[in-house]
Amino acid sequence: MRDLDVVGQSYPQIDAMEKAMGKTKFVSDLALPNMLYGRILRSPYAHARIKHIDISKAKSLTGVKAVVAYADTPGIKFGPRTEDWTILASDKVRFCGDEVAAVAAVDEDIAEGALDLIKVEYEELPMVSDPLEAMEPDVPLIHEDKPGNIAFEFKIDVGDVDEAFKNSYVIYEDRYYTNQVYQAYLEPMGAIADVDLSGRITFWVGTQIPNMMRMTYAKAMGVSPDSIRVIVPDYGGAFGAKMENNVHLVAAVLAQKAGYPVKMINTRHDDFIAGNPRVPMYIDIKLGATREGILTGKEVRVVGGAGARVVYAHAIVATACYRADSLYRFKHVRSKGYTVYTNTVPTSCFRGFGNAQMTFVLESALDTIADQLDIDPAELRIKNGIGPDEVSIHGWIINSCGLKDCISKATEAAKWQEKRQLKKPFRGIGISCCNHVSGNRAFAREFDGAGGIVRIGRDGRVTVYAGESDMGQGQKTVFAQIVAERLGVPLNLVHVAIVDTDFSPFGLGSFATRGTLMGGNGVLAAADDAFKQLADVAAEMLEANPNDIECSNEKFFVKGSPERNVPFKDVTEKATFVRYGSPVVGTGFYNPGTELPDAETKYGNISPAYPFACQVAEVEVDPDTGQIKVLNFVAAHDIGRAINPMATEGQIQGGVIQGLGWALMENMVTENGSIANPDFLDYLIPTALDSPNITPILVEPIESSGPYGAKGIGEPALNPAMSAITNAIYNATGIRIKELPVSAEKILKELKKRPK
Amino acid sequence: MKVRINVIVNGEKHHLEVKPNHTLVDVLREELSLTGTKKGCGSGKCGSCTVLMDGRPVNSCLILAPQADGREVVTIEGLAGREPHPLQKAFAEKGAIQCGYCAPGMILTAKALLDVNPNPQEEEIRFAIAGNLCRCTGYSKTVEAIRSCANSSRNNRPSAGRKAYA
Ligand code: FES
Ligand code: FES
Repeated sequence: MRDLDVVGQSYPQIDAMEKAMGKTKFVSDLALPNMLYGRILRSPYAHARIKHIDISKAKSLTGVKAVVAYADTPGIKFGPRTEDWTILASDKVRFCGDEVAAVAAVDEDIAEGALDLIKVEYEELPMVSDPLEAMEPDVPLIHEDKPGNIAFEFKIDVGDVDEAFKNSYVIYEDRYYTNQVYQAYLEPMGAIADVDLSGRITFWVGTQIPNMMRMTYAKAMGVSPDSIRVIVPDYGGAFGAKMENNVHLVAAVLAQKAGYPVKMINTRHDDFIAGNPRVPMYIDIKLGATREGILTGKEVRVVGGAGARVVYAHAIVATACYRADSLYRFKHVRSKGYTVYTNTVPTSCFRGFGNAQMTFVLESALDTIADQLDIDPAELRIKNGIGPDEVSIHGWIINSCGLKDCISKATEAAKWQEKRQLKKPFRGIGISCCNHVSGNRAFAREFDGAGGIVRIGRDGRVTVYAGESDMGQGQKTVFAQIVAERLGVPLNLVHVAIVDTDFSPFGLGSFATRGTLMGGNGVLAAADDAFKQLADVAAEMLEANPNDIECSNEKFFVKGSPERNVPFKDVTEKATFVRYGSPVVGTGFYNPGTELPDAETKYGNISPAYPFACQVAEVEVDPDTGQIKVLNFVAAHDIGRAINPMATEGQIQGGVIQGLGWALMENMVTENGSIANPDFLDYLIPTALDSPNITPILVEPIESSGPYGAKGIGEPALNPAMSAITNAIYNATGIRIKELPVSAEKILKELKKRPK
Repeated sequence: MKVRINVIVNGEKHHLEVKPNHTLVDVLREELSLTGTKKGCGSGKCGSCTVLMDGRPVNSCLILAPQADGREVVTIEGLAGREPHPLQKAFAEKGAIQCGYCAPGMILTAKALLDVNPNPQEEEIRFAIAGNLCRCTGYSKTVEAIRSCANSSRNNRPSAGRKAYA
């Protein structure tokens, strides 16, 4: 491969200046002529039967253009994976915030006022909000067809775990709890929906999965997928949350009814109570090791709270059950996972997708075992860590793997040895590792992979179309860099279109840390195709063989003689003329060759590549107040080649601070079935004052399956952060944190228990 | 019932009829189509609606429209002169913008800080932007971007940034 010009450079995001100037139109900034504003009436009860709804008064309010309840919807059961949703509640409500009725009016005040005029008679039912309780006998059923409130069970059993435990020198066993936290993207969820004369519905919506959403919504609306168009303008963050949500569909139902476009953006309050926060989990773990610290067996039982309907919780619980097994050289593992309905907000994806929960638990357990065996925790991880070209217990083919490099670089930068040895009172240093995927065949069921389109016009302007949307992570910039590199043009010639299901490839979306590897390979294949078309024209102009044509710095030339060249734009112009105006359109796709895991054994290579990380945190605990201060944080990440090092660093820093927020601050508190802190006053996320500087370290083994050697970074940036911090707290105080978040009160309480 | 207000926005005089319960952020976004000012919470807790009112950063979602009467407001659209403001450039170039939803408010808060304290220490920067939430960046690059402007000669002269609206 020749030297790279554009890939590997720290360009600002290609749309950063627009954003800095306030010019970018986010979803909530858009307005259409005659647009109405929608509001949803949400259930005040966690579990209740709807006896009667009267919308007549609301309808007669001046300025109200449509009022809808269940009877006005298609009344179809649907769901992204489990068909336990309806667009509005039919006979009962299952969580505080459940969608009951909705209004579209000429302005937000009127819509809000009309909600007060809708009369709903409820009959309260007994409710349950804790997933363990929900599984107990004689507990009210949330969905009558699901006994024990169990929506899904997941099982995996490889090797002989019992025998492995018998052969262990130490066995650690404990229960952990990872709480429910909120993604807290700065732009709330929402959409504008419009219906044309043929009945075709267009959504302008910030979503990570425009195409999968289209399929789900087609089912919900009782129309063919072709009757739904999803346009994804710029949107303000997602972190896993912006997938399917009723808020979009309610807008569509209102638009149908009113005959005008309807804009429905959650208030922050509604976003808290009816977004899709992280799946809370009870995790029992049993972990064994030999005297030398070689891990023998692992057994976990995961109970995840899905809330009132399954969005993707079952896949998240499954991920918690087995993904981390491929971080170390496990031979014997057993997991049982339960996805359980409760009368709380439906939970779903949040950066880490279950692996974040399990990484916290596994890495805490490892830390305890290191302590019991008196082995350095970093050493223990190096001893057991998986390496390049190995095949994990579940058949995952690990190509590139910089795990051990990450450990040695992170510990060195954090002065691990020194700080462990010369430990000061109430200061501590902790380590945590993680693995992840770049695409997840187990989740993307029909296929995994990605397509791309690269269009090059007469004037040489390059436009890239992909199916993986940019939620702020910099996906557009990464695609532009990949395409610019392949074509041999500067970055400013390349533009990336927003995802529009009418024009873009059928991309699966931006999740599972797959955007750069999958989408990047898709657009690379398309650029390759476009390049070949241009090379044919350039070859004619240069009187050479097309196979010998290269392009760099916007000039086509014959390999080896760059001095005789033709400008890129001359070639694109010629190409357009000889095609009678048709632009050069390159298309291509990437087939990752991954496998759908076996239904029984779950064996199968689910991702073309696996990123790894090691993070080290240093903390200080105030013995008088219990306050925890993170003093230093080093995050070393194996990401294959960094297409854009600055953007990668930004992902790492942002991910770590989200993990820090989870570990030390964030908690959605449910009281009597309703969320007691649904605003940024009572639900605190890290501010600049809570956030230490993060030192990112990029470890870049070239990944053979990645575009220019790249893997993904989104989720691994967060996964190890919580246990790096709690392991540091353990090192500082001897207190093992088994429940997130840690608070000063909890620490103080533990410290007080100690003899003085 | 509406009330009349006179307000200068980005150097331009506006005579507006507003609902008395409407907030400045709604007036800016809806009446004046200045959607650069964002609304992340509507209750004073996120800072994404920050604008400068008489030179000071305020959460425009907490300012009732009538309170803006007779005031001078600068939004992100009005910060740049012929060239983007150095802070806008720095935010873009240093990677302080991911989704960018926080950026307009964050940049205006930083501008107000540099106006009164042209050479802030890191802690002072962090303190100044503590009311502006960013969920994407973890703030490291935000602080770096602001610091890079503190050191530039332009911001060592606090009047420079204000000139356009003097
Ligand atoms: S919208 Fe004003 S502070 Fe959040
Ligand atoms: S860049 Fe997304 S909130 Fe700050």
